[in-house]
Amino acid sequence: MKGVVNAVRHHLAVVGSYLRVGLLNFVQYRTDFAVAVANALVGLVTQVIGLAVIFGQTTQLNGWDHSGLLVLVGVFFICSGLLGLVIRPSMQTLMEAIRLGTFDFTLTKPADSQVLASVQTVAPQAATDLLVGVGVIAWTLVSDGQGLHPWQVGAFLVALACGLAIIYSFLLMLSTFSFWFVKLDNILVVFEGLFQSAGRWPVSIFPPWLRLVLTFVVPVSFAVTVPAQAIVLGVDGATLAAAVGVAVLFLTGSRLFWRHALRHYTGASA
Amino acid sequence: MSTITVRDLRKTYVVPVREGGVKAALGALVRRRTREVEAVQRISFDIAEGEVVGFLGPNGAGKTTTLKMLAGLLHPTSGEASVGGHVPWRRDHGYLRSMALIMGQRNQLQWDIPVIDSYRLNRAVYRIADADFSSRLDELTDLLDLGSLLDKPVRNLSLGERMKCEVAGSLLHQPMTVFLDEPTIGLDVAMQRRIRSFIAEYNRRTGASVMLTSHYMGDVEALCQRVIVIHHGRLLHDGDLAGLVRTFSATKTITVEFDADADVAADLGGLRDHDDVTITDQSAHGLTVEVPKDRAPQVAARMLSTLPVADLTVEEPPIEGVIERVFTSQDEA
Repeated sequence: MKGVVNAVRHHLAVVGSYLRVGLLNFVQYRTDFAVAVANALVGLVTQVIGLAVIFGQTTQLNGWDHSGLLVLVGVFFICSGLLGLVIRPSMQTLMEAIRLGTFDFTLTKPADSQVLASVQTVAPQAATDLLVGVGVIAWTLVSDGQGLHPWQVGAFLVALACGLAIIYSFLLMLSTFSFWFVKLDNILVVFEGLFQSAGRWPVSIFPPWLRLVLTFVVPVSFAVTVPAQAIVLGVDGATLAAAVGVAVLFLTGSRLFWRHALRHYTGASA
Repeated sequence: MSTITVRDLRKTYVVPVREGGVKAALGALVRRRTREVEAVQRISFDIAEGEVVGFLGPNGAGKTTTLKMLAGLLHPTSGEASVGGHVPWRRDHGYLRSMALIMGQRNQLQWDIPVIDSYRLNRAVYRIADADFSSRLDELTDLLDLGSLLDKPVRNLSLGERMKCEVAGSLLHQPMTVFLDEPTIGLDVAMQRRIRSFIAEYNRRTGASVMLTSHYMGDVEALCQRVIVIHHGRLLHDGDLAGLVRTFSATKTITVEFDADADVAADLGGLRDHDDVTITDQSAHGLTVEVPKDRAPQVAARMLSTLPVADLTVEEPPIEGVIERVFTSQDEA
């Protein structure tokens, strides 16, 4: 037990150190922050205008009203911010490192290689998306005069954690393919495109086959819809348990795949 | 006691095979052909605690593959290895904390931030106690003259400065086994000497075992009491440098300096008549010849008796030449 606590403490210290390095890197390029703010605001304005156009014609979109979809947009921005903060840039670095051979150094470090690979690059400017997301949800709830039950907040946090775990595992699996197929950078661009276009809408508006795809194959919508649902419509215990189950499945699968890939790592040539 | 033990270590890579041209490229999309390349073929050796061993071979000989297996990066196809009692490719954290891999061609320091911040990252990863970190950093800063570099972003350092910082960063956790892959590549002569003397000092102070690959024989001559030579993945020689020269060099070099005022006969005292004597350099002031090892005493005696010799030396040929000859003869065989 003491060993596990020590290991967790060590890995938290490592993650903290990488976050610190990310912040230091970020300070070196301050204009990135201005660009990130502009980018988040343009994204938000576009989405809000789109919703205004839709709700000019109707009051409901498959059970979701205007406020509900604004909350979903907020959750989308929170997910986007958390992914963009550490996971997405680290996965890009991982693919590049495998191609160039610098991944060797990750493997020689006395810490879990998956943890190191997953936190090695931090992009603090992505926190802008996170703040925008929290702001949109808070503003929507306040302007509707709607309070939140602690159960809703708890369910939201559990669903959000599951959603992030699912997307993280999915991205890790995609990136792990780099051990065999060296040039795979575009695969993250394809994922980003899907996430940006499908993640902004509740998964229930898509036809059943696409819903399955967006939940299990490319799990982008599911990760955004369930947390938003926890705030707007409420979720039952079974849905939350399913979210936890799917998250555990994805985390285990990606972990096994990672370990399998390490056995086949050949490194870049000297 | 052996720190590194290697037995019948073998690594085979599967590489794609494709002929040139569009047709072959399209064909490879449908049916991928591969072949096996034996990068390392059943090599065995031992390295004792505190020993500095040169690992030599031409490009593609299997040196880096062997180092990477010993550093735990690659799983071997077959064979066994133990480093400090650990099986490297299990990569247990105890092992990773006890060794370092330094590659001259690749950086691990964070590019955009000051060197000291990368070191602090290593402190967290290797769980180095604050007091140890400070004292080791002071020692390394002193030995490698890093004082003015620690606060600079890595991208602003010259190649030599970067290498010094890389080496120091990799040794902050004081590893007892160090694998160095071309640590002086691309560096100027002064910086090469600096890195070499530092490695020797680190080895002396800590008693760490060091395994070094380099194409610069200066590195090997300055640091290694022993060399392991591999070619095409096979072990060719394991012993001291002088032994390598004795085993693989069939010739000796005789250099003479003439008396300043003396006339030298055009036939060089009959030296030109000997088929087994090769004149490699000749001027009004002296002469250098290469002769078969067993004939060296007779030829030297003849030169002393027939030429106006002021000074004469008999030497083994330069180590670079011997190594080159080893590899060439193996390729021809």
